[in-house]
Amino acid sequence: MKSIHKIIIAISICVGASITSCQKLNIAPTNIITPDIIFSSEAGVNAYLANIYRALPIEDFKYRPDGGDDININGVNYSHPGFNPGNPWMNFYCSGAVTGEMVGPFGGMDIGGGFGFWPYGSIRDVNYLIEQLPNHKAQLTEARVNALLGEAHFLRAYFYFGLVKRYGGVPIITKVQDPAAPLSELQVHRDKEQATWDFIGAELDLGYQMMPETSIPGKANRYVAAALKSRAMLYAGCIAKYGSVNFVDGEARSAGYVGIGADKANGYFTAAFDAAKLLEGHYSLYNANADKVQNYVDLFLKSGSPENIFIKQYSINSGTAHSWDDTFSPRYMTANALSRSYPTLDLVQRFTTLQITNVDGTPKRFDNLVDLTAGLEPRLLATVYFPGSTLRGLMFDTQRGIYPSFSGTAAAEVAKQPSQRSYIISGDVNTLYQGKRVIGFTGISTSGDELTRTGFYVRKYIDYNKPKSTVDLYKSEQPWIDLRYAEVLLNRAEAAAELGNTGDALTCINQIRSRAGATSVNNATIDVVRNERCMELAFENHYYWDLKRWRIADVVLDNARFKGLMPYYVFNENKYIFLNETETFGRNYNFEKKYYYEPIPGGELGKNPNLYPNNPNY
Amino acid sequence: MKKLMSRVLLGVCMLASAACTKIDNYGGPNASFQGRLIDATTHANFETSQNSIQVQLEQISWSATPTPQFIPSKSDGTFEDTKLFKGTYRIIPKGGAFWPVYDSVKMEITQGSSHDFELTPYVVIKNLTHELVGTTLTLKYDIDAPVVAGLPTIIDTQPYVNTTKLVGAGASIRDYSETRAVAINKEFIDLTPGEKSITLTIPNLISGRKFFARVGVRLNDSFKSSNFSEVIEIDVP
Repeated sequence: MKSIHKIIIAISICVGASITSCQKLNIAPTNIITPDIIFSSEAGVNAYLANIYRALPIEDFKYRPDGGDDININGVNYSHPGFNPGNPWMNFYCSGAVTGEMVGPFGGMDIGGGFGFWPYGSIRDVNYLIEQLPNHKAQLTEARVNALLGEAHFLRAYFYFGLVKRYGGVPIITKVQDPAAPLSELQVHRDKEQATWDFIGAELDLGYQMMPETSIPGKANRYVAAALKSRAMLYAGCIAKYGSVNFVDGEARSAGYVGIGADKANGYFTAAFDAAKLLEGHYSLYNANADKVQNYVDLFLKSGSPENIFIKQYSINSGTAHSWDDTFSPRYMTANALSRSYPTLDLVQRFTTLQITNVDGTPKRFDNLVDLTAGLEPRLLATVYFPGSTLRGLMFDTQRGIYPSFSGTAAAEVAKQPSQRSYIISGDVNTLYQGKRVIGFTGISTSGDELTRTGFYVRKYIDYNKPKSTVDLYKSEQPWIDLRYAEVLLNRAEAAAELGNTGDALTCINQIRSRAGATSVNNATIDVVRNERCMELAFENHYYWDLKRWRIADVVLDNARFKGLMPYYVFNENKYIFLNETETFGRNYNFEKKYYYEPIPGGELGKNPNLYPNNPNY
Repeated sequence: MKKLMSRVLLGVCMLASAACTKIDNYGGPNASFQGRLIDATTHANFETSQNSIQVQLEQISWSATPTPQFIPSKSDGTFEDTKLFKGTYRIIPKGGAFWPVYDSVKMEITQGSSHDFELTPYVVIKNLTHELVGTTLTLKYDIDAPVVAGLPTIIDTQPYVNTTKLVGAGASIRDYSETRAVAINKEFIDLTPGEKSITLTIPNLISGRKFFARVGVRLNDSFKSSNFSEVIEIDVP
């Protein structure tokens, strides 16, 4: 009996062992996602693409041109990320604030040296996509694979555009590098600046040819590629034309890593013009409201605008919302936080010369602050908040101080030393002079940065419909319009003017001016086209790059100080006057010529000596 | 208790054995380098303002592509760095208003090394005279160029006024200096003799104060650098 038990036990062990043994061990690791899983389904490809779109160097609300200070996000240290993965709230650190569009947070030209932008990780992701997609035609269909490849070429061009406008020529890497390859293969040489721009042009051509005509908002289609091409080729043309006159000599220049021959300029301008023309009839300027001011305000807020070509979206739920509303208006009109970046009078005077003095030089007297805005261009009023305008039911009661009485000319008063002026000013909004508030709730105070120092606040992109209590940090969801049709028209006008086709330039400029509610111009010289661009695209992070590619940044920002519009209340007359004075930060902005190119990041130079020579004077 | 003691001792022994196994045998930064920047036209020290000229050093014995380091010039036209690592360096002065030097000097830097650089200024400021009437200072001077062909465009000329003798670009009182600049924006060769004789006035100096002043001419080279005059001392009565 016992032996039977033993036999049963022995048999069951044998059977048990043989059943569970001999399983195949050669299975794919279940904790690693393989290319097949990603690239064989639409959902997988979309998830992969989302990561790349998120990393695109779009200079949006949150872009910090000085790199910013967000470190340690989910345990990863990002020093100077620029395109912040950590969602900074201080949206006022924008490039307009070093160029005289605005003044404020930066102490001076603090962004010339860049922040070490080097997105080869993302470029590798795109290269991998381009390498993998053709293997999955069966699951995705050939047509879809081609469309996706077009998108990949557009994305790769976008990254290289972010690089070339900063550094000039960079290594063009189109294959997925093998980390085990010999060092000599991994340490890729810089390509010439011209080759880099040509590569971008060719990539965007592929994008245009392979992508479909339409896309969901936030994603690229063929016209997005064409619009970006018009921008990129215009940059290249200007660098060829103006960079061969105003340049810093050095080894990198003589080797062609920075700089393009002047003879190439017209080719690039023609490419920019042709690319811009491709969008004609497919996009148009936003013109839904007959009220020109409201129309221009809504252009940046309403979804589904026919002007939007490529946008970037944000949402509170996904934790990506931005803080534009909360950090560009004074605390008086928001629930929290503060502002620190203020439009200059210099920007405002691009639109018109404000009539603030009489012929005899004395300041004009106004009954109300808002009277100054009578008859001004609607686009200007929709771009900045003037003293006297209203937001969320509250008035910008901006006032620099009080004159008990005022005599003499504006020029003589402004030339006086502060101690010799008879005005009453205050750092505190609660200070009274004979029962009258000395400064407004919205400034101008020189204690602290939270109230305007120029008399103006930004209006573009401000969501006026948001109730005050909801205007908080990380609560703004309006999309950033990265490419809009007005820019494409301006790209086309500038390229046309550079090519001597002033007729076409004039048509484009007057389309924009008509929508803006401005009077038509009769002659589209290059200066007229440029000024139009500066007005239309104010605060959209274009001006810094425009100054650079026109090679006039060192002239415009030559120890420059900018102006504000200072409203005062004249007590004995019960009137307001406005004086043109230096903004009260007294900031000094100086652009060194070497900043036309940023230095190749030091860490990369250390890893790859083939990136030498560094750009001139670094 | 014994067990605890032995554990503590074991710990101490382990730490001791891991510590101090190697010493850093690389020499400290005890080499030094100094010298003069000499004006080739006068053989005196080059008129600089602080940091307007930089001496660039590249330690080629350390790496084929070293990160450059810079010694800023002092206001008397000399430079000195006493905390350098011993080694072979490639050296070149940069940044000032002088005809660029293309041949860098390769030399071994040890303790007490020195080298002088002879530089040809773009523009020389001659015959500087000053006159104080009340609180208004008038400065008169002539400008000349040792080499005219290929000279960068002259942007402007301006006085520099400060309350210390360290006066120059970045060390001046704005209301007496930058705001008194006179734009020129011409090639030197196109200047008439009258335009080469310049008069600057600086009103409203403060009574009872001592000021130091000099003038500069700024050129549109890569650095937008300025040539400076000597410094003069002004007592405002």
